[in-house]
Amino acid sequence: MTDGEHDGPARRRRAEGAAWAAGRPRRLEDLLPAVARGDERAYEAVYDLASGWVLGVARKVVRDPAQAEEVMQEVLLEVWRSASRFDPALGTGTAWIMTLAHRRAIDRVRSERSQASRELRSAAAVIDYDDVAEAVEASLDRERVQRCLMSLTEVQRECVRLAYYGGYTYAEVAELLGVPAGTVKTRMRDGLIRLRDCLGVT
Amino acid sequence: MTTPGDHDLHTLAGAYVLDAVTGAERAAFTAHLAECAECRDEIRELREATARLGTSAYLWPRPELRGATMRAAARISQLAPVTADHPVAGQAPAPPAAGPGLTRAARGRALRLAGSSAGLRGRLAVVAAAAVLAGTAGFAAVMHDTMQTLHHSQRQSQLIASVLNAPDAVMRTARVGGGMARVVMSHRERRVVFMASRLPPLPAAERYELWLMGPIGDRPAGMLRTRHGGMAGPAVISGLAAGDMIALTVEPAAGSRQPTSAPLVLIGS
Repeated sequence: MTDGEHDGPARRRRAEGAAWAAGRPRRLEDLLPAVARGDERAYEAVYDLASGWVLGVARKVVRDPAQAEEVMQEVLLEVWRSASRFDPALGTGTAWIMTLAHRRAIDRVRSERSQASRELRSAAAVIDYDDVAEAVEASLDRERVQRCLMSLTEVQRECVRLAYYGGYTYAEVAELLGVPAGTVKTRMRDGLIRLRDCLGVT
Repeated sequence: MTTPGDHDLHTLAGAYVLDAVTGAERAAFTAHLAECAECRDEIRELREATARLGTSAYLWPRPELRGATMRAAARISQLAPVTADHPVAGQAPAPPAAGPGLTRAARGRALRLAGSSAGLRGRLAVVAAAAVLAGTAGFAAVMHDTMQTLHHSQRQSQLIASVLNAPDAVMRTARVGGGMARVVMSHRERRVVFMASRLPPLPAAERYELWLMGPIGDRPAGMLRTRHGGMAGPAVISGLAAGDMIALTVEPAAGSRQPTSAPLVLIGS
């Protein structure tokens, strides 16, 4: 692959094309069991499908571009290492990888926060949604997720955003928003239920 | 902390999926999931929705990261599948110490295993712990050397560091043939770092495999690649449970789900 020669979508089509051309399945649910058997081509296809998602969430959570790249690589290596632990009965390959990615990114910010004994960052800093948008794919998916997030109540939305992108525990979110912890727990759950219904995920 | 009731646990579903819980809450909720099919369905659906929050933030990785990741993966051994009897997820954190009775039980099983494969009986070497070095200068030196010389990957290094730096980390060494195996284990991290030197060479059709053996059964812990001079590791083994011992066996090159030969070494806490 040549550097910087094409814009994002073209590069993605090429990556997807490469996965097809290899005569390999393209669904993560089919690729991951092959990865578990040590199939390096399948792993390349998984990388091509998932690395951008993982980098995106890592960047949202850890903010620092270099650290986000490290998290992305760690997560993709974890996918290689533990592909045998993927269980399709528990969810899609995307959800499995994104769960690994989010936990890894969260671990990184939490240890950073505790090491530095920093004050909690202000809520405003975290929910500023667009400062990593420079290279974000302008995708329908993104618009749809944004639209669905906007369909939540404000408290639900802030609870979900602070937890998912900010890496805060519900107790910390309660502190930041000045509402009881029990309320935050409830809003996180009903907010995600509404998001699920809006996105049509089953 | 009081034990949360089922209702309280259920409201934790959103925070759980968002990773907005403490380790103790995660463990409690994970245990609850094992008993609540309805909750598992809800979690599965909420996870899919939550994943979209992440995938919609898509960013293009720099192209050079691809090759670097592939090269790193080529040096990392893969985990063997978990058998249905002993799923890795959902276990509560293990208490820090193994009871001597459990340790004896594990040894007893190893001896039975040895008896059941007569040709390998002579290989069996159950070795008691040689040294406990946690918190000493020797431990720090080992840790330093480990961190300096054994950078399989950043992920690997971080896992290793998390074990070596754990407050409850203990180190054990044991002889294997003419070589030496060394483990550092942390029940708090539920991980073990395994290293070996001068392991006896094996025929091409055989490889070394690591195991966790304990009260909850024998679980494969990955194939161990040997390098020049019988050097191996550091391999990070996850899922350490109370009473586990770490075993090394010789298996067919493809690996086994259950040990087919007696452990060359069994190291316990």
